[in-house]
Amino acid sequence: MTKRKMFLRMITASLLRRRSRMLVALLSIAIGAAILSGLVTIYYDVPRQMGAQFRNYGANMLLASSGEERMRMAAAQAALESIPEDKILGATPYRYVTVQMTRNQLSFVTAGTDFSQVQLTSPYFVVEGAYPSGSRQILLGKEVAETIGAKVNSVIELSYRPAETASAGSEIIPGVLLTGSAVGFNNNPVYVTLRVDEDLRITELTVNADTQTPEYGGQCAEPFFTQRFIGKQIPVTLNEDVDAVTGATMTSQAVTDAINHSGAAETPAAAGSSLNMTVAGILDTGGKEESYIFMSQEDLTALTGEQDQIDVMELSVSASSDELAEYIDAINGNQKDVTARLVKRITNSETAVLSKLQSLVFLVTAVVLVLTMICVSTTMMAVVTERRKEIGLRKALGASDSSIRTEFLGEGMFLGLLGGLLGGLLGFGFAQIVSVNVFGSSIQLQPLLLPVAIIVSMAIAALSCLLPIKRAVAIDPALVLKGE
Amino acid sequence: MSLLELKNISKIYGELKALDNVNIHVDQGEWVAIMGPSGSGKSTMMNIIGCMDKPTLGEVLLDGVDIAKESSKKLTDIRRDKIGLIFQQFHMVNYLTAVENVMVSQYYHSMPDEKEALDALGRVGLRERAHHLPSQLSGGEQQRVCVARALINHPELILADEPTGNLDEANENIVLDLFAQLHAEGTTLIVVTHDPEVADAAQRTIVLEHGKVAREVINENFEAQQKEWLARLKG
Repeated sequence: MTKRKMFLRMITASLLRRRSRMLVALLSIAIGAAILSGLVTIYYDVPRQMGAQFRNYGANMLLASSGEERMRMAAAQAALESIPEDKILGATPYRYVTVQMTRNQLSFVTAGTDFSQVQLTSPYFVVEGAYPSGSRQILLGKEVAETIGAKVNSVIELSYRPAETASAGSEIIPGVLLTGSAVGFNNNPVYVTLRVDEDLRITELTVNADTQTPEYGGQCAEPFFTQRFIGKQIPVTLNEDVDAVTGATMTSQAVTDAINHSGAAETPAAAGSSLNMTVAGILDTGGKEESYIFMSQEDLTALTGEQDQIDVMELSVSASSDELAEYIDAINGNQKDVTARLVKRITNSETAVLSKLQSLVFLVTAVVLVLTMICVSTTMMAVVTERRKEIGLRKALGASDSSIRTEFLGEGMFLGLLGGLLGGLLGFGFAQIVSVNVFGSSIQLQPLLLPVAIIVSMAIAALSCLLPIKRAVAIDPALVLKGE
Repeated sequence: MSLLELKNISKIYGELKALDNVNIHVDQGEWVAIMGPSGSGKSTMMNIIGCMDKPTLGEVLLDGVDIAKESSKKLTDIRRDKIGLIFQQFHMVNYLTAVENVMVSQYYHSMPDEKEALDALGRVGLRERAHHLPSQLSGGEQQRVCVARALINHPELILADEPTGNLDEANENIVLDLFAQLHAEGTTLIVVTHDPEVADAAQRTIVLEHGKVAREVINENFEAQQKEWLARLKG
């Protein structure tokens, strides 16, 4: 028999034949390893899990035209090829035009889109009735529906005349929802909806500046800017009645123009088509979408004669902020007609929440490791005290200090191995339970985690044994002679 | 030829002289008993001879090497290579079987060899009990395992500390028979005891009192005892 075999025989005998003692140490290592492997699994799975959760809050990337020409659908589709297919949860095109209702001559911003994608990129939309599923069906914003008194299954005739630089000549009627549009930065349109009182003072205003640069013109849609118009009398003059948004003078001017040219009044029946549309559903979002009409791209084409043109494409991409930045660079580098940008409000809060969650998990893991170490160390210390006689005997029989050290370290690391294996598996179960209960989905096993849990447990066990071993080595072999 | 020689050794703890200028020599193959009341310095001398302590003054020559001057690491090596220890309290590793306990001694000395360990257990009459744990063995059986463990590495000197102190008469006789056998084979034996019967089995008894050698008694009947023992063994 080799020395190594005898060594293994001794340490396994020590663990197996003194079960009750070693069980405590084994359990503490196993529990430590379980929590460690569970938390690490969650640590690595949280971005995936939370990413899916965050995608419920809407799109996190926008595609828009990079030039003066409006973006083509084909160009947007080509840009999508820069993003791995499995990362794209949804890609929704929007084309905004102003459309009139033939019956009452009211104008509304109308979006042509793809409803199957809308449900993916804006899962928070609440629809009374249903999303349009066939042709000649529309989705009405709640505010539009209230203004015109439409209900699900109402039939509305819509008509379209080609856009002018600003929809001029409309009459401003107090208390009625007014719409207007004007050309802003990069020749892209800005839309407004508002109401005024008897004195033509603005009481409500929402702005759609999705086609503008989010950091600059896009700010004009935020309440801090729209609030500046409340109480102002039409016509409004920029920089006298209302201050422009810094760095977004063109968009601010477009908003002002759109307000001044807004109207609900009759406009001469223009050349253009009209279509009878059935209201499939009424949209309640709590946001500016409530003042729009939505229809399929095909119906919008039938109404306007435009082919294949979109203003923006909203993307919901399940990826980390680094990956998103990578995709955006790829699109902006490869596609000359399309500019991609992040919806910063969404991606920034995602990143912040994720990093906080991860640092919390990290902290808890560190604390658990320290606690495990203390527990194992205490157990090993008790083991050394209990085995003073045996250690003295081994030394009397000729064991050198390094033999004693190796034996205790061997026992400790063997415990670490068993505990790590047991805990690693338990931990995966623990992470699975947490994941199912908290995120409602099962977790992906990190194949490397088990070996890592075992190695970490062995290292922790070895580290915990250092002090007990120091005490064991100091034991005087003469104590076995004293007949105690 | 002397195997062990203690020259003018003293062990001093503060005011107390546990050993006071002691001179002893033990020849190769001799069987010596060390007797004395409690506090006479037996344990201190045992520790020094067993390479587990060093004298304050004097020389301890074991096989011609002065172990009083060696480092404790070197003392461990000497103890492992030259001395077989037997204790009053048996002292077995309680989670290892009898044969494994014997192999522990081999493990630290050189190479564990299960067959050799089983043969050693056979010599002390415990071949069938080899795979029992200490808790399954009687006190006498445990002490016999300890004898097997002490002789497994063929030490030059077997040092026994009250080897029969915890045994009944039947087991005491078995152990003394084993000692007689070892002596017959030429092993040097030093037995520390306060039991006159155990001391009487030895060739020579050194009596310690107050840290000094009070007297030495030569066992005149030793030759006769050995013959009787051999006859008993054959009969």
